[in-house]
Amino acid sequence: MDEPAVSANLCHKAGYTFTFLSDTKAEVIRRYDLLHVGGGIDGHDISRPAEFLVDPSGVVHWENFTEDIRVRPRAEQLLAAARNIQ
Amino acid sequence: MVTLLGVASNFFYFLKIFQAVPQAIIPWINLILPALGALLLIIGLARAFGQSQIYRGKIWGSIVAVLSVLLFAASVWGFVQSRAVPRSAGAPQVGQRVPDFTLPDVNGQPVSLGQLFASPAGGAPPKAVLLIFYRGYW
Repeated sequence: MDEPAVSANLCHKAGYTFTFLSDTKAEVIRRYDLLHVGGGIDGHDISRPAEFLVDPSGVVHWENFTEDIRVRPRAEQLLAAARNIQ
Repeated sequence: MVTLLGVASNFFYFLKIFQAVPQAIIPWINLILPALGALLLIIGLARAFGQSQIYRGKIWGSIVAVLSVLLFAASVWGFVQSRAVPRSAGAPQVGQRVPDFTLPDVNGQPVSLGQLFASPAGGAPPKAVLLIFYRGYW
């Protein structure tokens, strides 16, 4: 939900080269039912963590919803799911 | 000689409230340190008050005890908060189509879901796209 400029700074510092999008009004977050009302610092709304592996027709092949914000999928998990896509 | 060993053991109470567990191990590990701290606290207080001939430090022990209890409460609260994640029952399931979207990238340029599947310069189109909703603070 960060502004593009904030995300640009992060990507630059972290060296990210993948596409990084900004959903400042949480519109897409809501559309995906991922809104965590009051879950951010100072009680701001925030997205809950989630990952979706989507094919070109927009169909979900794999997804992950963590039960604990401190636990995120590791790269091996994501790569294994991606390799299963034919 | 005055030994503050019992009370000193209360100081070995390191707290990690928000520790991203970098493994698939359940985050209950995060409760081990506070639990150890609580144990040391109890031992320290028992020594300070129970055997005050050998171990001094009733005042310091009490002060540290109050601080330790507060830290313990804070770490338990942090643990509970980390797991207070919404159900997201309405999120797209495997086999379902995800909602379309168009959002600005880091340069403010609009990017749609369809565009993410476009061929990169001189390359084949991606077989899949990974959407990561990254909740975090920078």
